[in-house]
Amino acid sequence: MSKGVHRFAVFVACATFFLIIAGANVTSHDAGLATSDWPLSNGQVFPKMVGNLFWEHGHRMVATAVGMLTIGLAFYLQFREPRTWVKRLGWAALGAVVAQGLLGGLTVKLNLPLIVSATHATLAQLFFLITVSLAVFTSKRWIESEPLEQMVEGPPVRALCVFSLAMILTQLVLGATLRHSATWDKDLPTPLLVAHICGAVVVTLVLSTTIAAVVLRFRPETYLTRPAAMAAFLLVVQLGLGLAAYTTRRTSPNDPQPLTPMVAVTVAHVACGALVFAATIVLTLRVFRMVRAKQAEYRLAHA
Amino acid sequence: MLSKNARLWLGLIAITSLLSLASSCSKGGGDDANDNTGPTEGAGKTYTAKNNEGTISGVVSYNGTAPENKKIDTSADSACTSKSPDLKTDEWVVADGKIANAYVYIKDGTLADGSKIGDYGKWPNMPASATLDQNGCHYHPHVLGVVVNEPISITNSDPTQHNVHFTPKNNPDWNQGQANGAPALVHKLARAEVLVPVKCNQHPWMKAYIAVSKHPFFAITEKDGSYSLKGVPPGKYTVVAWHEGGANGTEQKMDVTVAASGAAKADFTFGGTAMAQPGSWPMLEAITFPTLHNH
Repeated sequence: MSKGVHRFAVFVACATFFLIIAGANVTSHDAGLATSDWPLSNGQVFPKMVGNLFWEHGHRMVATAVGMLTIGLAFYLQFREPRTWVKRLGWAALGAVVAQGLLGGLTVKLNLPLIVSATHATLAQLFFLITVSLAVFTSKRWIESEPLEQMVEGPPVRALCVFSLAMILTQLVLGATLRHSATWDKDLPTPLLVAHICGAVVVTLVLSTTIAAVVLRFRPETYLTRPAAMAAFLLVVQLGLGLAAYTTRRTSPNDPQPLTPMVAVTVAHVACGALVFAATIVLTLRVFRMVRAKQAEYRLAHA
Repeated sequence: MLSKNARLWLGLIAITSLLSLASSCSKGGGDDANDNTGPTEGAGKTYTAKNNEGTISGVVSYNGTAPENKKIDTSADSACTSKSPDLKTDEWVVADGKIANAYVYIKDGTLADGSKIGDYGKWPNMPASATLDQNGCHYHPHVLGVVVNEPISITNSDPTQHNVHFTPKNNPDWNQGQANGAPALVHKLARAEVLVPVKCNQHPWMKAYIAVSKHPFFAITEKDGSYSLKGVPPGKYTVVAWHEGGANGTEQKMDVTVAASGAAKADFTFGGTAMAQPGSWPMLEAITFPTLHNH
């Protein structure tokens, strides 16, 4: 495995994160229908990017670049990666980004129906999951790691990680649905808002438990504790951003246009949500790599 | 478990299906009323003038000090900044306590012969067409009244691209780009609706409202708050004054009787603590009451 493949996979994952930020800006600026065309914008490949067209066409340009990078990654893996399942994951990433592009076009042509827009936002997170996973799978440490030898019975850390991941993904779907349910000049639907707040409580409890289990039981294993610590830090930031997003979004229907504080905070909330997801993906994959299945657990040699 | 070939074919079929769907959708979004499908509300009995029709008129006022309109930041498009350097929202157009841009209309009622106003689809003097202009990255007029299936001509007088986005509840959503210098777009709304918000997603501060009525008994208040509904058949009606006043709009109702060849008067008052305050989340109902003067 060459370092180049891993570096390229990391680059694609970072580009995907940037694409999520670009997409979040489109929603917060209410720019999704700044042009009724797709794939062209106002009949042009490079229109004058003024007003909200800057955000919508900018999102399309970043998406095109990520699509190209994903094609490159799929072929790179095909020719340089010995593991068949990783090659397949590369092609799955390409399939996901193609489907994502088509969903983006579909939601524009259908004038942003909630189901299509929310699916588009959810698939973005799933595509991010694949690219982050590829970055992990192609790393030297992943390839050279061996499962931990010293095991004892204990809480199922693997199951906790998967549960955390599922809860975060559910919360991301709820957040995407909430964001696409009302533009900046409309009140957010209360039931969805309450569901999203409840989701935040559940994610906080589940992820905190998972992080505590990992950190307490695998303290010397920085390969596991680093993503756990990162997830903890991002979770705290995300809760603060969520509160700020609620406050700014609550008053935005009375604003003459989407104002910078509301846009910046809500976009940061979306971005940080993706980072919490990414940190938990890395943690989960590494736990699955290092910790044996069933209820086997690692105990410190000196404990 | 599916074989490798079967999975390959399934994947190809899924991608082809998505492509076909996107392609078929991209063929939609025309620039005329043909987009409106389904039954319309233009049908119904024809009302023949009996020369005993009356008038409903009045004034819409604001009680208290009207909220100030907000400054709009147009810096995202220099064409807007140069043409409208000091653009503000036009939610509140109040002078000497009188409100402009309120939409007053007959919501319901019974004619003297016992028939319902909603039974009629054709009236004398139905308006033939209306115009909505985009000038200075701003809609003119801000509130527009039309009858069902009345052609609405949308013009772009700005040196920049706009997109015209109707976001109705009863009519199909409609979004169409319009370059500077492009011919007018013509669109029709086939179902009655009070009111259809219009916005430009390219310049998100641009907002207008179009009210769609089955009959011609509606008016937009002038700068002095006055309005007049002419040619109203004798009968008993519910007259409504609507003002956007907040995120969801607010309205006041009044029962009015129009005698044969009579002139009824209906004044409305908005304002005070009745309107939604900035920062409030739920829309509050107006609590002031209109005055009624029948003649």
